Amino acid sequence: MSAASLLEVRELNKHFGGLHAVRNVSFDLQPGEIVGILGPNGAGKTTLYNLLTGFIAPDAGGSVRFDGRPLLGMAPHRIAGLGISRTFQLCRPFVGMSVVENVVVGALGPRREPGADLQAQAMSLLEQVGLHGKEQQPVESLSYGDQRRLEIARSLAARPRLLLLDEPFAGLGSGEIAELSALIRRVHDEQGLTVLLIEHKLHEFMRLVKRVIALDFGEVIAEGTPEEIVRHPAVVEAYIGRGNEIAQEGTHAA
Amino acid sequence: MALRSGQRIDAAGAAGFVALMAALPLAFDSKYLIGILTVSVIYGIWAVTWDFMSGLTGRENFGHSLFIGVGAYTAGFLNTVYGANAWWSLPAAMVVAVLFALLMGFPTLRLKGPYFALAMLSGAVIMQRLMLIFWEHTGGEEGINGIAPLIRSQLGFYYFALGCLAAVTALLLALARSHWGLILRAIRGDEATCQAAGINVTFYKIASLAISAAFAGAGGALYAHYQLQVSPQLFAVVTSILIITMVYVGGMATIYGPVGGAILLVLLTELLRNFGEWRLMVYSCTLILILFFLPGGLVAPTWRRLRAAFGASS
Amino acid sequence: MLEILIVGAVSSAIYAMLAVGFTLIFGVARILNLAHGSFYALGAYGAYFLTSQLKLPLLPASLLAIAAVALFGVGVERVLIRPMRHSQLAVLMITLAAALVIEQALFLGFGSEYRNVPAFIEAKYHIGGVDVAGARLLALGVGTLVIAALWTFIQRTRLGSAILAISQDPQAAQYMGIPSDRIFSLVMAISAALAATAGILAGPFLSVQPTMWLLPIVKAFAIVVVGGLGSIPGSILAALMLGYAETLVGYLISTSWTEIVSVLATLLMLVVRPAGIFGRRAAF
Repeated sequence: MSAASLLEVRELNKHFGGLHAVRNVSFDLQPGEIVGILGPNGAGKTTLYNLLTGFIAPDAGGSVRFDGRPLLGMAPHRIAGLGISRTFQLCRPFVGMSVVENVVVGALGPRREPGADLQAQAMSLLEQVGLHGKEQQPVESLSYGDQRRLEIARSLAARPRLLLLDEPFAGLGSGEIAELSALIRRVHDEQGLTVLLIEHKLHEFMRLVKRVIALDFGEVIAEGTPEEIVRHPAVVEAYIGRGNEIAQEGTHAA
Repeated sequence: MALRSGQRIDAAGAAGFVALMAALPLAFDSKYLIGILTVSVIYGIWAVTWDFMSGLTGRENFGHSLFIGVGAYTAGFLNTVYGANAWWSLPAAMVVAVLFALLMGFPTLRLKGPYFALAMLSGAVIMQRLMLIFWEHTGGEEGINGIAPLIRSQLGFYYFALGCLAAVTALLLALARSHWGLILRAIRGDEATCQAAGINVTFYKIASLAISAAFAGAGGALYAHYQLQVSPQLFAVVTSILIITMVYVGGMATIYGPVGGAILLVLLTELLRNFGEWRLMVYSCTLILILFFLPGGLVAPTWRRLRAAFGASS
Repeated sequence: MLEILIVGAVSSAIYAMLAVGFTLIFGVARILNLAHGSFYALGAYGAYFLTSQLKLPLLPASLLAIAAVALFGVGVERVLIRPMRHSQLAVLMITLAAALVIEQALFLGFGSEYRNVPAFIEAKYHIGGVDVAGARLLALGVGTLVIAALWTFIQRTRLGSAILAISQDPQAAQYMGIPSDRIFSLVMAISAALAATAGILAGPFLSVQPTMWLLPIVKAFAIVVVGGLGSIPGSILAALMLGYAETLVGYLISTSWTEIVSVLATLLMLVVRPAGIFGRRAAF
């Protein structure tokens, strides 16, 4: 627990009626890390993101600090304004607008550089995510995979310090996953971005993340490198019935 | 600043429109015509202001008449009860309208579409009722009479109103084409994603409602100093619906389209004057037909085709 | 005191009939039908027309009027609402436009003077020292019966369960093979019939003129918001609350304030608790 943690989460809890969706979650993120959150469906991953980004309020007693600054109680747009960008599991683009307009809006928050050419920056981002040539298209005409890329471009437009990705690979083919993975790694390397990544399939993680936090039923059940996680008994049990699969994936992706 | 060819055509079109509107009363020397044009210009202001807020954000406001009415009544009170000079009415109406926008906006803008629409409608209905309940102060059903005209010359007042319409439309169009407009359209697209992008959605919604209200209230004051009287009818549902119809006819979210929509519908009213009782029926049927067959409106698509014909690239 | 109790009860019964129909079609089809007040008006005018112009006796005239309005409601749903179902706002606009058209049609057909809907019971009764019109008592009685019958229908019959299923989960209901479109038409017919019945019962003592659709819809909306959208028990409870609140305001302050009560209640509820008392679906 370094004093210089970028993100410090302590004892985060959330109940929805009788359901204890997030239980005593605590972890740290160091600046520049790429960390993965792994967990089966329903493990509370997206709820965790919603708590971190201010869309839901946690139960009393927890704390979240970004760069030393407490985040709890802040409105979502202010948290985003501090440099935390997120994507959504189900893409929610700005319908009725073009692809490039969607990205420009991403840059219109408080982190906007005065005098910057937002249009040009947006075009450049779109090229980086592989949407070159589709800038003027209405966003509704994009394929699902392209919408995912757009989400990422939009989240990068605010030049965030911390990027929270919610299942970015869902619904994509393996070629697209590799491309997106490379993009995330490139952006991380070039901009010194800290990335937190949710996925429920381990394979996608393996090459990308340095550290994995495993969740099940809202609790942190293990933390470690991808190799360690794959062998961790609690993780294997969480994926009961798929335990063999994980071991196999672990040995294949090296 | 070099304008793209599309913008040059737009500017030419706007200038041409204003010139035409200014020239008409000179070409046909008719008090009747000036009257119709004046009313259509004022309705134009109301329609443009509605479009700026509701057209861009997609949050349809069924209570726009609230801002119109409070603006008009402010003008009426200031002028008759307090004896203020008529020129104070415009700024005063704007201030009062903004206050009401803040009052209604804060609690209602977080509601989903139809509930926001009906909550604003409720606000207008309440005000209408209050004007009747406190009839001793507000003149009740009769309203306030004997308001002084702003400009004695009928033509002079028309030109002033036309100038106001041009100024308001230009301002709101500029805002709509700026980042402000992008943000409003994004709010229409998805509010949660906007927040995730750092945009203070509540601020923009309320500010846009306030801007919309301010100029609608000013239009109300203009109306008061034109008709020289105000009545609770200004708050009626029918007024709001008529304005919404004008926006639909003009082209939702285009800002300039509703000007054409206002003129067309006021003209329609006059043409149907002989049919007296059938007018409202025709309006309502028009609205239904537009909703079904021309959801993009009439005026804006027509202008876009004209533009393309003149060779605009964008 | 007893007078307030009875008048309040009568108002509540009428409002309950209006609100339950309104909340039913919303709960099932997510439609905010602003023409609902028009069904109320058409019921009253239908009874007036059939009795005064066609000289039919009151009971058959009423039943005929209710049936006609129910059919009309189905027609409105099919022709105007269904094509617009992609957007709740579009439905709002089109039903509002329809309400205006109907108002104008009534105005053109019958003029703007107040019309007289005959009462089933002309007599006045003397209860506990208070004079009460028989027509009001009838409204109270029939209203209660009708709503009880509807409640039983929904709770006890297969069709009723289908309606409940659709209102709880439209997707699942479709997967189960429940014919949503036909159910929508049925619910619309019930909703319109309820409104028409309220119009016929209230006609003798409430004003009958072309603009009579607006206030009922404002109040129905208020009740449904306060009680909770899509909840029938909520609507009944809120109808009682509103009916009595209005009556009390009318007696204690003045009758001109009564109309504001419902609108104020709507606004306050939307601000404080948009889901209403029993609502599951919030207004935001």
